[in-house]
Amino acid sequence: MSGDEDGSDSGPGGAPDPESGSDPGADGATGQDSGSAAGSGPGGAAGSGPDGVPGPGSNPATDPGTAAGAGTATGTGTGTGLAEEGVAGADVAESRGTSVGELPGRRRLVVAAIGIAFWTWLVARWAYHSTLLDDLFTALGAPDVIRSEQGVRAREPWFPAGPFEAAADAVGGVAASLGLASALLDWLRWVLDLAAFATEVAPAIAAGAYFTVYLTLVSILLGLVIAVPLSVARVYGGRLLSGVALVYTELIRGTPLLAQLFLLYFGLPLASMIGDVGFVGRGAIPREAVFVAIIGFTINSSAYQSEYIRSALESVDPGQLRAARAVGLTRLQGIRHVVLPQGLRYAIPGWTNEFVYLIKYSSLAAFITVPELFRRARDIGSDTFQYTDIYAVVALVYLALVLTTALGMSRLERAVAIPGLGGSGN
Amino acid sequence: MSLLRVEDVHKSYGDERVLEDVSFAMDPGDVEVVIGPSGSGKSTLLQCINRLTEVDDGEIHLDGEEIHRMDENELRRRVGMVFQEFNLFAHRTARGNVTLGLTEVLGMGKREARERADDYLSRVGLANQADSYPAELSGGQKQRVGIARALAMDPELILFDEPTSALDPELVGEVLSVMADLAEGGMTMLCVTHEMGFARSAASTLTFLDDGRIVERGPPEDLFERPERDRTRAFLGRLTDVHGGT
Repeated sequence: MSGDEDGSDSGPGGAPDPESGSDPGADGATGQDSGSAAGSGPGGAAGSGPDGVPGPGSNPATDPGTAAGAGTATGTGTGTGLAEEGVAGADVAESRGTSVGELPGRRRLVVAAIGIAFWTWLVARWAYHSTLLDDLFTALGAPDVIRSEQGVRAREPWFPAGPFEAAADAVGGVAASLGLASALLDWLRWVLDLAAFATEVAPAIAAGAYFTVYLTLVSILLGLVIAVPLSVARVYGGRLLSGVALVYTELIRGTPLLAQLFLLYFGLPLASMIGDVGFVGRGAIPREAVFVAIIGFTINSSAYQSEYIRSALESVDPGQLRAARAVGLTRLQGIRHVVLPQGLRYAIPGWTNEFVYLIKYSSLAAFITVPELFRRARDIGSDTFQYTDIYAVVALVYLALVLTTALGMSRLERAVAIPGLGGSGN
Repeated sequence: MSLLRVEDVHKSYGDERVLEDVSFAMDPGDVEVVIGPSGSGKSTLLQCINRLTEVDDGEIHLDGEEIHRMDENELRRRVGMVFQEFNLFAHRTARGNVTLGLTEVLGMGKREARERADDYLSRVGLANQADSYPAELSGGQKQRVGIARALAMDPELILFDEPTSALDPELVGEVLSVMADLAEGGMTMLCVTHEMGFARSAASTLTFLDDGRIVERGPPEDLFERPERDRTRAFLGRLTDVHGGT
């Protein structure tokens, strides 16, 4: 149940790269900018961004940036900051980047620092309550270093809530004395209260985030293993193979994920079969619901991933395979050594989309009893009745997971880039 | 015995006849240049010979063996091909383009393949570009990599499908000189090209293909000086105007 972290510190994206960093704050800013541009500018301006430019991997999230640029261009902008955002957004669109692209150095460092701090805390939390590490340290004669025996509710926060509470009270006092003009201070007080609340629920959040990360990572990778042959079958298989792949893909994509999970968990005897396996649910091995969730997410994700990869494979010049065949490679060798290395590179931006979706869709595992992030939030909400607060905190955690993933993936894209291949290699 | 013997080859795409009753033979060391207007079936003829396209009717023998009774990958190992659009593997360096066939088809070890690739790259004058990706090479350099890639497989015959047609005029020379060296060295080559200078100086036989049929075939000087058919004369006249023949 508690965090055991085999492989978890190679979390999605891992530590964000200062070089490929971006600024979620700036993202938010562009969102606001585009709003103001659309509001005050001629209606057409905001929509006139290079919508046609993005290729297979374009991300809608880049559009607000360009829209902001359009806003300034029509003279409704209020400063150079706006123009800068617009330019940054346009750059992202051109490089088919993954929502968070390139931003000026200082902002990049800020995001990188926040991302590293977040993941350091998360991994440290997991390690602190890891049964595996506990066994290890106990064997080494230090039984009290790792506290895996603590239930999630019994875990102590590492950061004190006191200072935030005190600050909130102080701000509240000032706000009360000001009377009507206190809207801003009230808001500040809410934020401070939220921070205090967040420190208190942090241990449970970390425990939930473990399952979110675990489910997502395992499912996306297993899904990839299925998606690659599936997409190859779609593109290069004969009528039978591509037909089977098509039916699989459309069946999975055409039915709700939640229904698929319910079918697997409640409809099929899968859970009890897995539960009967001796080691399931013991020690570091998660219980059966987690396995069912992984099966469901893997199947679902494989269908979506295969669509992204299929369109990437189709964008590889047919002359490439013809040349491979002309050298004497078999069709399969040609696909493996020539088409896939190129197609998978093209697929990275679209694949990142699926990755990011899956992080959020993994919350559906809550409904088949997996204690992941969303379920922890729901439980805390029903304990404390602070629904707004807990969902705000959890939304921020999801945001941090998603942004660091996107950063990690754009770093990966850069790392495997080859001159002349795809949009970002040049 | 002839190295390549094409007998009564027919090929249609739907209702459109692309090759009709094409027959010819090449001996080892021959350099055959095929010319003809676009759509005359030249490229299809080459693709039939390494079975990137299958013939409808007729036989093609490589070194006495009917190619349709051969394993197609074995056939392609023995017959190299150089493409008009280069078709270099975009994700591999110049060296990687050459080694892929060596390791995967010939089963060579990595180091041996690498040495052989570097050897062939230096033969086409690209020793210094071995680590460059296709996007970093000029058109002429790309095509020379394409030639090295085909050559390194040690083929019995190389097919050239308009190897200079996609090149800027100033880059044509470097490719032609590599091809001329090959011809000099005794390589058997079947070239679809409209470079009349190359045809004149390097070809042992010139074939004029029109509308899927061989109109005229013979030593280049004969076709240039005394074409038997008016169509040959007219076509060569136009070609020489455009591409220069002397």
